[in-house]
Amino acid sequence: MRQPKELFSNIDWPLLIGMFALMGVGILTVYSVAYNPEHPLLFDTSQKYGKQLLWIGVSLFLGFLILLIDADIYRKFTEYIYIATIVLLIIVLFMPPVHGARAWLGFGGLGIQPAEFAKISTALMLAKWIDDTNIKLQNTRTISETLGIVFLPCILVALQPDAGTLLVFTSFFFVLYREGISFDPLVFSVLRYFPRVKLKTTWLGTHFIPFFFFLMVLSILSLFLSTSIYYPFGISLSGPLFLILLITLLGLLFFGFISFFGYPRNKTKNLVVLVSSYLFSVFLISSITFFFNNLAAPHQKSRIELVLGLKEDPNGADYNRNRAMAAVGSGKFMGKGYRKASVSSMRTNHVPESETDFIFCPFAEEWGFVGNLMLIAIYLFVIFRVFSIAERQRSVFFRVYAYSVGMVFFYHFAINIGMNIGLAPVIGIPLPFLSYGGSSMMAFSIMLFVLLKLDSQRRDVLR
Amino acid sequence: MNLENRKYLLYGLVLFTSLLFIFKLLYMQVIDDSWTQRATQIAEKRREIIPPRGIIVDRKNRKIVVNKISYNLMVIEDRIKQLDTSAFASLIGWEVKKVKQRFKDIVKNEGVYKNPATGKTESNYRADRPYPFVKDLTLEEVTRIAPRLTDFPGFYEEPTGTRYYPYPGGANILGYMNEVGRKEIENDPFYRPGMNVGRSGLERSYESVLRGKKGVRYIVTSATNNEIEPYADKKFDTLATPSPKIKLGVDIKLQLYGESLMKNKKGCIVAIEPKTGEILTMVSAPNYDPNLLSGRKSIRKNYPSLVSDANLPLFARPLQAEYPPGSIFKLLQSLICLQEKKITPNTGFACNKAIVGCHDHPAATSISRAIQYSCNPYFYAAVRRVIQPNKYNNIYQDAENGMNVWHKYMMGFGLGKNLGIDIDTLAQRNGLIPNSLYYDRYLGHHNWVFSTIRSISIGQGEIKLTPIQMANIAVIMANRGWYYTPHFVKSIGKKGPLKKYRTKHITPINRTHFDAVIEGMRRVVYEPGGTGKEARINNFIVCGKTGTVQNGKNKKNHSVFIAFAPIENPKIAIAVFVENAGAGGAWAAPIAGLMLDKYLNKVISDKEKEQTIINANLMSSY
Repeated sequence: MRQPKELFSNIDWPLLIGMFALMGVGILTVYSVAYNPEHPLLFDTSQKYGKQLLWIGVSLFLGFLILLIDADIYRKFTEYIYIATIVLLIIVLFMPPVHGARAWLGFGGLGIQPAEFAKISTALMLAKWIDDTNIKLQNTRTISETLGIVFLPCILVALQPDAGTLLVFTSFFFVLYREGISFDPLVFSVLRYFPRVKLKTTWLGTHFIPFFFFLMVLSILSLFLSTSIYYPFGISLSGPLFLILLITLLGLLFFGFISFFGYPRNKTKNLVVLVSSYLFSVFLISSITFFFNNLAAPHQKSRIELVLGLKEDPNGADYNRNRAMAAVGSGKFMGKGYRKASVSSMRTNHVPESETDFIFCPFAEEWGFVGNLMLIAIYLFVIFRVFSIAERQRSVFFRVYAYSVGMVFFYHFAINIGMNIGLAPVIGIPLPFLSYGGSSMMAFSIMLFVLLKLDSQRRDVLR
Repeated sequence: MNLENRKYLLYGLVLFTSLLFIFKLLYMQVIDDSWTQRATQIAEKRREIIPPRGIIVDRKNRKIVVNKISYNLMVIEDRIKQLDTSAFASLIGWEVKKVKQRFKDIVKNEGVYKNPATGKTESNYRADRPYPFVKDLTLEEVTRIAPRLTDFPGFYEEPTGTRYYPYPGGANILGYMNEVGRKEIENDPFYRPGMNVGRSGLERSYESVLRGKKGVRYIVTSATNNEIEPYADKKFDTLATPSPKIKLGVDIKLQLYGESLMKNKKGCIVAIEPKTGEILTMVSAPNYDPNLLSGRKSIRKNYPSLVSDANLPLFARPLQAEYPPGSIFKLLQSLICLQEKKITPNTGFACNKAIVGCHDHPAATSISRAIQYSCNPYFYAAVRRVIQPNKYNNIYQDAENGMNVWHKYMMGFGLGKNLGIDIDTLAQRNGLIPNSLYYDRYLGHHNWVFSTIRSISIGQGEIKLTPIQMANIAVIMANRGWYYTPHFVKSIGKKGPLKKYRTKHITPINRTHFDAVIEGMRRVVYEPGGTGKEARINNFIVCGKTGTVQNGKNKKNHSVFIAFAPIENPKIAIAVFVENAGAGGAWAAPIAGLMLDKYLNKVISDKEKEQTIINANLMSSY
């Protein structure tokens, strides 16, 4: 056992402070949104703010315990933790559904969501797996096994069903990309049919994950713009043409960048990649637009339009997003002032779930654009801090875990705020440390405290 | 391969997302205003507070128009949840069929319009707007219904004012109110369905004052549309401002007395305070109790019979009826002749009945006596000197010129034009004072001379005056040459009458010329052979002039009398017009006398005369 002084000496204080800042903003916002004039005390545990404060206390206590335990323990018990979580995820499927999803595991009056904790255990498992085998993640078998670690909880979460958490699990792919996963085997299984092509690696296989991600974003974007008209420089352009124009400009920018600053050794290759990406993008945009405007059935079209927010249905399917965006927009530059939210406060209840998944609304309404800038800055700081912690690890286990934490955190941030401001579909996942709820509070705390603990002992690890 | 460089992709992704959010937020919160408007639409509601309608008092501060609270049962269709029609029908005491029909009628009454965007015909009816379902419920009815309305979401009671008239008179002055129409609601943001608007009389002309200023309350509402709290600590709220009290120059007791005198007769009494131009009384007979047209139930019940009554009780005769003035016109003719120096006060003319008919009377040796005897040939001769002065060799040219000189004088007396009384301006008639162009149109240019149109010299022929103009002649006589535009409203709150009622109109007659004419008017009432002795009263000297207006063959003459009293420092000027009653001295003069007695002496000295007049029924002669 180490001395307490030594225990905290290597803690990454900036990350801890960032975390405390978010918890502080969170409890203030929950107090504002759930304020009950009959129980004005912040510590009143009959109210949501009292409970949230309790959850913060429990989380900090857990965090303290985590800091006391030697980092090696997590590594040693990773498999057991992972298996235990998988078992919980299976058990939860036999529980009575709450709001249509079998996500809650009840203990008396309290409940937890195993899916929240599955993110931690999957991160740990993935880290240990990649570290242990020390593989390059480039043959079919290891790739399959690695993906299997992610897919197993994914499938169980999908059965609940919980689309939000499922989406969050895709964040691990970026971690795998950072660790050098290659989808060359997949590419070669296609290239096999072209015997003349002899390649050891392909650009597509190497960068499959960002490429796939780019593909998805571009597809959604071209659907989104398919029916709109833009007026850049006074010229009327249809949405897809506008998008192509933007991509052309971006391409030219990169082209210039590569021509002037790129290594001469890689120049040709980079230009080939650029030109082929450009042509592929244009092809993709055109074909999706053509499909959407000419071939899609009307009901498909209207469904897509609704999901993308192209069609207004402010009191029907689009109710949440419409109310949430009104709340955020009405905050204006300086906000309405603390406890002055009129749209998203629980008293008026125009924005459903404004204390949990839509907690960004009351925050944005009360603190305005200025407050939002600061909140985004805090999140950005925390995520970047986690990434930089990841990069300074000697151990692959530590690094993979740290990146997983960073990416999961980023996903929650991106999807939650994105849905609050109409940039992402309405998927119920909490905003880390702000949303009301014990499971997510504890899960994110444990996630970060484990990271802090691992980081504090990074020098103990031999490379 | 250098894997560490891949961290830049992750950094880039996070940074890109954050920047995207910041730009989107910048657009949503700072640049674009539409989400703010949407939020206002969602969470903030504007509630209007309608002040009670202003009350009206008479010159003695007696309340003559007040509000009686009644209630409308309002409905907002969108908020109705599974209406139990039969239970609701029994609550409001209707049949189920009528309830269903009422829903259809509300939609139907709103009408349709052609939507320019879609080209389709759409109903003006909006399910999210309140409409009155049952109108004018009494307090008793509402206290029975209101507690049970919680069972019928979408229905609620709303207080609305109905007018009440403690003194059942002056209906044609005060006017009545009725529900606003759809056009009015569209054109004026003040109005909402179910509200009332002044339809005639002062209620209409002072509508913008009487309705007051609406207050606004902004509130934060919940998703279930309940009021949560005042918006922005009531920073933007405004209080409703009720109309200031409107005080009339009318003496309601005199008005009621006049109406009782005119019972069962057709005609008018108009009394004006000469000093101020305030109308003391404006009786239009036959009339009606203004309470008959107060509230929609009453209007529905009484309006059809009033509007179809052959005696036209809704017709404001003092403003809208045009009569030849008859002999009272001779007062103005005298003044013009004197001013034009065609005669002196002592000029006499022979009563030559060959020219124009007259009655037997002593010789009219002066203007005063001519007025006293109302000698027709005298005025024929005198006016002839004005209109046919032999200034031009061409007699037609001469008459044309003279006619226009004469016409200008008449216009100076406020005749032949809308006086601009503060009531329903559009409903006031101009009367008619012909000029040369008028006769040119009917007789041909240079095709007429004075003798062609001679009846105008005695106030007959083409001349037409409204009774209010006749009363204004009495005012001009009383003031010796000036008048204020007659008006009803003495003050609005602390402010006096409008500026246009404080502007003196000076007639183009020298003050000195009035003495002889007024002496004539005194003689009419007090000297033997005068035609207006019935107008005498105790304590005050009355100056008057009778008129007996010929009214076509086989019809009895109209009886006219104008007067003012007392002779020095006059307090009241009056015109009485009784249709088809006979000689001016027989009917109009005694009525005027009673009115003057009532106003100046407060008690009626000749009760017998009063009873005779009140009991007289002339309706058979119409």
